[in-house]
Amino acid sequence: MEAVPNNQALRFDKGTLLLESQPPPGLASYFKWDQRAEAWRCDALHYPEVEYALKETCPDYSVPIPHGIKVNWPCANLPPLRVDQESALQAWMKTRRGVLVMPTGTGKTEVALHIMHRLPVFTLVVSPVRDLMYQWHQRIQERLGYNAGIIGDNTFNKQPVSVTTYDSACIHMQNFGAEFELLIFDECHHLPGQVRSDAARMSVAPYRLGLTATPERSDGREAALDSLIGPIVFRYPLSEAKGRILADYEVKRLPVYLTPDEQAKYDRCSGVIRHFMSEQRKTHPNYSFVELRKEYAKSPEARQVLQAFYTKESIEDRAHEKMRVLEDLFRLHQGQRILVFTKTNMMAREVSARFLIPSLLHHCRKRERKDILDGFRNNRYAAIVANQVLDEGVDLPEAKVAVVLGGLASVKQAKQRLGRILRKRGEETAVLYEVVCNDTKEVERSRQRRRSDAYQGTRHLRH
Amino acid sequence: MLTKELAIYDIEGSQIKPDRLTQKKHERYVAYAEQMLRLYRDGIGKTRHELHSAIRQVFINEPDCSPQRIDAFCKLLDEDRICKFDTDRHGNAAALRCKIFGLAAGYHPLVQYKDRLFEHCEMEVKQTIAQKLGRPDWSEIEVELFADVFEFNRLKSFAGYDSAEALLSRYNVAQVQASLFNAKKIVLWARSDFQRIVTHAKLAHLLHEITPPPDNETNGEYKIVLDGPASVLRETRRYGVNLARFLPALLSCRDWRMTAEVKIQRIPRPFWLQLSSDSGLRSEMTPLEEFDSKVEKGFAMKWGQDKREGWSMKRAGGILQRKQTAFVPDFVFQHDDGRKVFLEIVGFWTPEYLRAKIEKLKLFDDEHIILAVAESVGEKLPTMSQEVILYKSALKLKDVLAALARESLRSAS
Repeated sequence: MEAVPNNQALRFDKGTLLLESQPPPGLASYFKWDQRAEAWRCDALHYPEVEYALKETCPDYSVPIPHGIKVNWPCANLPPLRVDQESALQAWMKTRRGVLVMPTGTGKTEVALHIMHRLPVFTLVVSPVRDLMYQWHQRIQERLGYNAGIIGDNTFNKQPVSVTTYDSACIHMQNFGAEFELLIFDECHHLPGQVRSDAARMSVAPYRLGLTATPERSDGREAALDSLIGPIVFRYPLSEAKGRILADYEVKRLPVYLTPDEQAKYDRCSGVIRHFMSEQRKTHPNYSFVELRKEYAKSPEARQVLQAFYTKESIEDRAHEKMRVLEDLFRLHQGQRILVFTKTNMMAREVSARFLIPSLLHHCRKRERKDILDGFRNNRYAAIVANQVLDEGVDLPEAKVAVVLGGLASVKQAKQRLGRILRKRGEETAVLYEVVCNDTKEVERSRQRRRSDAYQGTRHLRH
Repeated sequence: MLTKELAIYDIEGSQIKPDRLTQKKHERYVAYAEQMLRLYRDGIGKTRHELHSAIRQVFINEPDCSPQRIDAFCKLLDEDRICKFDTDRHGNAAALRCKIFGLAAGYHPLVQYKDRLFEHCEMEVKQTIAQKLGRPDWSEIEVELFADVFEFNRLKSFAGYDSAEALLSRYNVAQVQASLFNAKKIVLWARSDFQRIVTHAKLAHLLHEITPPPDNETNGEYKIVLDGPASVLRETRRYGVNLARFLPALLSCRDWRMTAEVKIQRIPRPFWLQLSSDSGLRSEMTPLEEFDSKVEKGFAMKWGQDKREGWSMKRAGGILQRKQTAFVPDFVFQHDDGRKVFLEIVGFWTPEYLRAKIEKLKLFDDEHIILAVAESVGEKLPTMSQEVILYKSALKLKDVLAALARESLRSAS
């Protein structure tokens, strides 16, 4: 890709635009005078508007950032879209800027690939984790016959069509923000962080597509998506999807008990914490963990208490009994693909080493990931274990059984995890098992999880 | 460098004070540092997990040490430039896993107790697989299974720090850097070293805005604001990493003070981090080499304090800046009638260096600038539009005065 000539009136500079002349009337609010560069500066994001306005006021003005070169797709192996997918595509094509809200399993990647096919421009696909980045790479290869560049995971191979992660995009967009005309933000609810938004702000791309199942963020920043990508142009409610495209599913909670040893250790830790807290509250009635955390640097006792707290968490996480329950579930679902989720890497590796099933973790490189996912897809592996890596979007077709060994209570996570096992295939019902320690905080988390709307109306079987 | 999460600091009013280990308050830490260095020196072949656990043990009875501080030490001991771990670059562990999970797939699920339906007992299967791989013992294989995982990387070599004090000193600097990760900008005041500071800032990809001291102030301070391109549009912490990277270079410079504006999560008001060349923080960076100034000194002595032919002379008396180029010519001459001419001395040079210098001077072609260039045996002087004085070993007064007269009467373009 060629560098943008820098002797132009308007030029791209480290994720911003520099304008030597007076900003066009009406757009002045975007610009700030930068003494250091002796020019007007604005976010690269505003490029389409600025460029249009400059052309209006100055007919012979021409600054092609980006250059408008088309991409040739070596082949197009795109299955036709369903009616609902087609209307998502049409909705976006009207403005070529906006967010499609589609639940996991409704084929938002397919829609995006069709868009790429219709709009063959220099394109950057941004996803939250490496797994998804590789998955996009593979899908682009399969559907469009194009070997996309990879930016991230210690690789920097920039091509006219490339895939990357949010973290890498945020770092590098200041350097190549003038080169891509179409940005695709997968799981775009990840974008509106204070620094992460730079991945969108520092690019001149006139065309922007956001994909998500859950635009809501707990910090309410989703409004920022409007300016960073565009408005929501299509929304596919989960209730409509359920039972039609997604399979029906049920949630079963399996309580496990701590072994006498674990219970004794757990109780000892609880005792330490309770004793310390009640002592503190004699002098400070409102003493809480917040105060404790402040004190731990200075007080070995506070440190012990916090250690006790972590030990309790670890006992819950790695309770021996969970392995036994898991063994039973493997027996029960012999012949079915099973996905196991754990809360920590440590537990995932323990499960992996105990049952000799592959663990899909952060350290897995491209080739191993592919081996694991392909092996799971073609039934070479009956079960795989993962931690949060697989929370979002990673394609694992038609798994019907998932087991969650402890986890966090958040609406988004619950939806994503369910989405993973809900793929429609026959009339089989999907099952999600939650294995939680009884009489511990995990039970409370499980209750919270079920309150989220993704679980509403599901059957809960008590064991 | 540390990570953001390892930043430890106190807040005093609106001041932010990065964690600092001092002789006075942290006497015991010298012994701890020695122990830590010994653990790593003797720890070749151990996993990161084992080493870090051992480091934790060092502080087990220390009342004044947060877990974060221990983690920070681990991070500094693990730094790439002094320490090598076997990260299994060739993917042996991954290959081993692939092989084993493949072999085990046929036995799924591995159960604790067999029955008629499920006859693959965990221990038996594992032993069988070990045999298939020609290994006597399963437990040995299990150790290698995740050798590529960060915590299980094994220490290959450790160059270490020169002394316990060097480690503690590195810690103190690293904590300031960690606080700077959340900085929006640095405001600096500097004197003689300001050009070097600006050069280092440029190397760290920062933008600068310089305000020179008032004309009448001798040895006044230059004010330098450092941040990045997008800082003019909004407050952003994206250049915090660059500011942190710049710090060791700054510490190698003299006679400066600075204030960084730092943002603390979830607190809207700004905090300030203050530092100066007297703060006692040491940098492992050696200062940039001093320029050869014999010619400069000699000429200044020759000229003396007096006016000559109506010209008064000042050393490094004025700053020229245009966009992101700033430079302070070696001498500035002011005539009684208001004419002003700069003189820049170029000692050792190559044609490339000279061409770059001329390119830079073009930015200031509305100023009067004279170049004094050392005669070189090997190289021929490129043709230049500037007024040039050639000199052999010392700059002659009469040559300079003649050039001043010519240049000051040339109409600036």
